[in-house]
Amino acid sequence: MSGNDAVIRARDVYKVFVARGAGRDRQAFLALRGVNLTIGRGRFVSFVGPSGCGKSTLLNMIAGLVRPTEGEVWFESAPVARVNTSVGYITQDDNLLPWRTLQENVEVALEFRGVSAEERRERAAHHIATVGLRGFERHYPHELSGGMRKRASLIRTLIYDPPVVLMDEPFGPLDAQTRVILQDELLRLWSGTGKTIVFVTHDLVEAIALSDEIALFSRSPGTIKQVYQVPLPRPRDVFHIHADPRFPEFYDRLWRDLREEISEVDLGGT
Amino acid sequence: MGTLEVTAGAFTGEDRAAELLRRVEQDERQRARREQRATALGRLAFGIGIFLAWELMSGTVLDQFFVSKPSHIAASLWAMLTTEGLLYHLRFTVVEAVTGYAIGAGTGLVLGLVLARVEFVYRIVEPFVVAFYGIPRIALAPLFILWFGIGIASKIAIAAIMVFFIVFINTIAGIRSVPAQFVQIARVMGASEWDLVRKIAVPAATPFIIAALQITVPQAMIGAIVGEFISSNRGVGHLISRAAGFLDTPGLFAGIAALLVVVMLMNQAVTSLGGYLMRWSPKHGALRDVR
Repeated sequence: MSGNDAVIRARDVYKVFVARGAGRDRQAFLALRGVNLTIGRGRFVSFVGPSGCGKSTLLNMIAGLVRPTEGEVWFESAPVARVNTSVGYITQDDNLLPWRTLQENVEVALEFRGVSAEERRERAAHHIATVGLRGFERHYPHELSGGMRKRASLIRTLIYDPPVVLMDEPFGPLDAQTRVILQDELLRLWSGTGKTIVFVTHDLVEAIALSDEIALFSRSPGTIKQVYQVPLPRPRDVFHIHADPRFPEFYDRLWRDLREEISEVDLGGT
Repeated sequence: MGTLEVTAGAFTGEDRAAELLRRVEQDERQRARREQRATALGRLAFGIGIFLAWELMSGTVLDQFFVSKPSHIAASLWAMLTTEGLLYHLRFTVVEAVTGYAIGAGTGLVLGLVLARVEFVYRIVEPFVVAFYGIPRIALAPLFILWFGIGIASKIAIAAIMVFFIVFINTIAGIRSVPAQFVQIARVMGASEWDLVRKIAVPAATPFIIAALQITVPQAMIGAIVGEFISSNRGVGHLISRAAGFLDTPGLFAGIAALLVVVMLMNQAVTSLGGYLMRWSPKHGALRDVR
């Protein structure tokens, strides 16, 4: 778990997007400017920052779905040049395939990876049991609750055992209760696995409760303003994270720094 | 004493709940049965009503020469079946329509799949596809008879072209509607191009494809019949146009009735297939509120 052993490195990354207007109208805008970041093996790192600051873009670069316009994103010992199948990717939408049952959804990545039917069934059964979804194997996604779907999307990623898991506001659409329960479940599933997690969120409490480190992005065009070490020991009790005496001070500091980056418009003129 | 009461209360509470569930289930089943029976009865009554009205109005309010009469049509149908070899003619028409349908739907599906996956080619050919789609396809029938002769091949070709474009265009639309995130996540999970087509694109496009397959069943029949109208000595289309030549209205309606039966059977087959392929859709077996 030493910080010197880096899994992901961003080196002076710039990203320019082009907005397609009517006809031939093209407008380029800068999404990321000079991002430098190192993520150590086995760390739980959160990206926080104002809306539209490029957090998800950087995540997409690690997944190889978006390329830097300038600079490089390194994964292990090489720059990411194509889709990165060594990561797992969990988005805000659960993206379960509606035509597959829960079990078939959980197995899909193993199918892509040519795992035998028998092994797929075994591994799926194990993972389904760990998140308490036994009995729902033959249900279609629309027959499951939001929390169940989110659990399903978690394990269908963890099942192929990617060393790095990217999560883009995974618990965003859930209700407050389910959210905390799933945060707790995520920590439980992660602890001891040695996996690296990169977690994008808008929720500072969530970032503090889960992470080892928090990277704070500036307003757009985004760059990393500061990286914080979360001063709370593990294992953590996400249900009572507020009760830790170090929590309020750290939260206030984070919020003060983030607030400077949020535009006056978004703050509603306060 | 107090504890005892609570325990007893909890026990009967659970009993009541189980009883309630059982009762609601029973009511629901009964209601579903009643509903089904009422629908079937209603349909039967409506059908009989139409035939009865037709039978009674023909020769009184309406000129029997033009509209015929269900009883005469039935007699004519029987005569066709026994003496004029209706089944012989029907066989040709069915073979033409079904073969044309299979060829048109098959090529439409495969070509649509390929084209939708290769963005650059699609952008080049799109306006041409739209232009061809705009041709009233039935106007191609004489041309096909010129190309393929007056035999069965030309009718199959006409039926196929009637089906092809609709399936082709719908397949493209279906594949292009696949959520980009499905594709991205599948790629990250390690899906190959072939996996993407087979396990993401095609299932996601299924609703579009099924709709096209349903719409085109009667289209295939139209193609076969129009071909037979134009030039043929066999098939139900030939029977119908011959009956028209003899001013035989009952014979005309009898031919149409025979076609109706065939199209309904084909429709049923495609609808069952669609229901099976779409069994994951929320419309099938969704939880329903108790009324």
